[in-house]
Amino acid sequence: MKRPALWSVVLAAGLLSGCGSAGSGSSSGTADGTLVVWDWKSGEETAASYIEQAKADFAAQHPDVKVEFVAQPFDQYYTLLGTAIQAGKGPDVMLFNGGGQIRDRADALLPLDEYVTGDRQRLAGWEAFTAKGKTYAAPVTLQGHPLYYNKALYEEAGLDPDRPATTWREFTDDCEAITEATDASCLSLGNKEGFGIQFFLSGLGPGVLTPREYDAWIAGDRDWNSPRVRRIFELWKETGDTGLNNEGANSTALFNDAFALFQSGKAAHVVGLMSDVGHWKDFGEFLDPDDIGVMQAPRAEAGAEPVLPYDGGIGYAVAKWTKKPALAADLVRSLTSKDALQAFYADAGAVVSDTTVDVSDGGAALSAITSEIGAGRPALHVALSTETLDLMGRLSQQILSGSTGVDEALEQLADSDRKG
Amino acid sequence: MVAPAVLVVATLRLWPLLLGVNYSFTGDGARDGVPVGLDNYAELFDDPLFRTALENVGLLVLLLPVAVAVPGMLATFIFLRVPGHRLFRSVYFFPAVLSPVIVGAIFNLLLAFDGPLNSLLEKAGIGAVDWLGDPDVAMFTVVGVHVWATFGMALVVFLAGFSTLDTTLLDAARVDGASLARVIRHVIVPGLSRTIQFVFVTTMIGMLTSMFGLLYVMTSGGPEGSTYLPEYYIWIQQGQMNRPALASAASTVLFLIMLVVGLAQIGLLRRAGREN
Repeated sequence: MKRPALWSVVLAAGLLSGCGSAGSGSSSGTADGTLVVWDWKSGEETAASYIEQAKADFAAQHPDVKVEFVAQPFDQYYTLLGTAIQAGKGPDVMLFNGGGQIRDRADALLPLDEYVTGDRQRLAGWEAFTAKGKTYAAPVTLQGHPLYYNKALYEEAGLDPDRPATTWREFTDDCEAITEATDASCLSLGNKEGFGIQFFLSGLGPGVLTPREYDAWIAGDRDWNSPRVRRIFELWKETGDTGLNNEGANSTALFNDAFALFQSGKAAHVVGLMSDVGHWKDFGEFLDPDDIGVMQAPRAEAGAEPVLPYDGGIGYAVAKWTKKPALAADLVRSLTSKDALQAFYADAGAVVSDTTVDVSDGGAALSAITSEIGAGRPALHVALSTETLDLMGRLSQQILSGSTGVDEALEQLADSDRKG
Repeated sequence: MVAPAVLVVATLRLWPLLLGVNYSFTGDGARDGVPVGLDNYAELFDDPLFRTALENVGLLVLLLPVAVAVPGMLATFIFLRVPGHRLFRSVYFFPAVLSPVIVGAIFNLLLAFDGPLNSLLEKAGIGAVDWLGDPDVAMFTVVGVHVWATFGMALVVFLAGFSTLDTTLLDAARVDGASLARVIRHVIVPGLSRTIQFVFVTTMIGMLTSMFGLLYVMTSGGPEGSTYLPEYYIWIQQGQMNRPALASAASTVLFLIMLVVGLAQIGLLRRAGREN
């Protein structure tokens, strides 16, 4: 009877000591002559010519090196990547979203600063791939949150489609006119996964915060108790309470249902994207491209100076465990070469990180977006950690349903943000 | 002769399990690989989201009788040869062959706020229900869809149980003029006690371990985290939050829950065996 008890104690002690971890394994690197890339783009038809162009660029420099792209499903991408990181083995080069997703995993990545100095000036959006002063990926696209509107619905409501609202008051007046004259809602909001608040915060926040408060937020000095931050969340609540949103916003998926509401003319405005989905080109497949307008966030507070919120969208990084860091970095440079990015824009309509790429054939909506890139600032939600964003998603659902107040939500968000 | 089997079980089952449990006592992020004792478990039970996930496990147990009663009643009607019973047998089983992702996608369309079900309700003057967006309703909706999608298997088990039922008892009850309700209560239920117990336990395990696909597609754990189950929590922590050690701790808790369910299953089956 004593022996099993003794073994139980030894086993329990061993477990409680928590010795070792999956993350402490050694790295394996790659096979000779091959670089492996993980992403979720290379399998898409609209990215085919982009990938081919990047491969050709790399092959011209390194004809003996084989490049293997492994397209992973996006909804499982970070789970698979997390497993590879814990094992210390995996691809040499990998795609990341800018912001929290890459910053949370920076420990597993190779700083690229010494390799990408030649691309610094040509490409924009580096900040989203920077953590603690080091750059971990080169930006492929720019991801922003323009406020799109449907000019045809404006005309139907007797509004001037070329003069969208510049203040929140005008905006709600326009919305009232639109909802009275048409069957459309004012805003298309998809908050099923909690993404709606991220787009709302970044899309409409520039109309609330002063430039100083905006910059402090991005720099990490966030005052969740400030009246203007509270105002953003009060506006979020107001859009739900006053019926500006489509009905059932908490059960509407942002991708693709909320965008579908906008492009089918069932909503007059949507905070969309500018990379390669949920953007001007997607909307143009169903709406007349001339009816797609882009407006600044309406100013809800005096002193706010609305700007286009954008960051680096997606970018390729190099794993710390690669045995060929210089080669892998060269591949990243090929994936952000001008010709490759030009092809990505041409096929997917993505606003790419190389702002010298000619987008003059994109139409009025794209011109309106690109003309604001120079003055734009990083998006507010991208500065937050993944954990805080997840909490904000749930709290935003509670605010819409009325089960949590704005003050209580802000208190929890401040606490989460403080923990980082 | 036993050694290979023991080796396979030890290396492919027990060793990974122990590694997972061991990993749950280490830290995440900056504390990766560092022993942290019970910190992950303390954080887990301090997290309202995980507590909601555990509460939902309790809710599933409470809803279990419904999930068993539905296939039981329908199997009874098929056994009693209601008109069209052959067609019903196929139709009831059909959802069991569908992937949860397909089922979720279908019901997402049907139950959308501006979807066909709400259109019908509005025409009937009842008003729309936010089936997937109301935190008080969403969990029941997902469980309802899960029951719809999976009761076909339980139905087959019930029909197999019916084939062992003593038909002379049924004939005697009918001759004595017993109503349908009395036949079910006094003849069918006692005669199928072992089958009912079996379906009870397997349905419970299915509800605790097989709802991830539906949750992922239908609610993404929302709204407000109201439809979280431990499985979904583990996936989010590992994949989205980059917290594999915390996810391991949650996995260990889920394993313990399943262990309790498994032991209950063994106990029930043993008792049923003794009674028969």
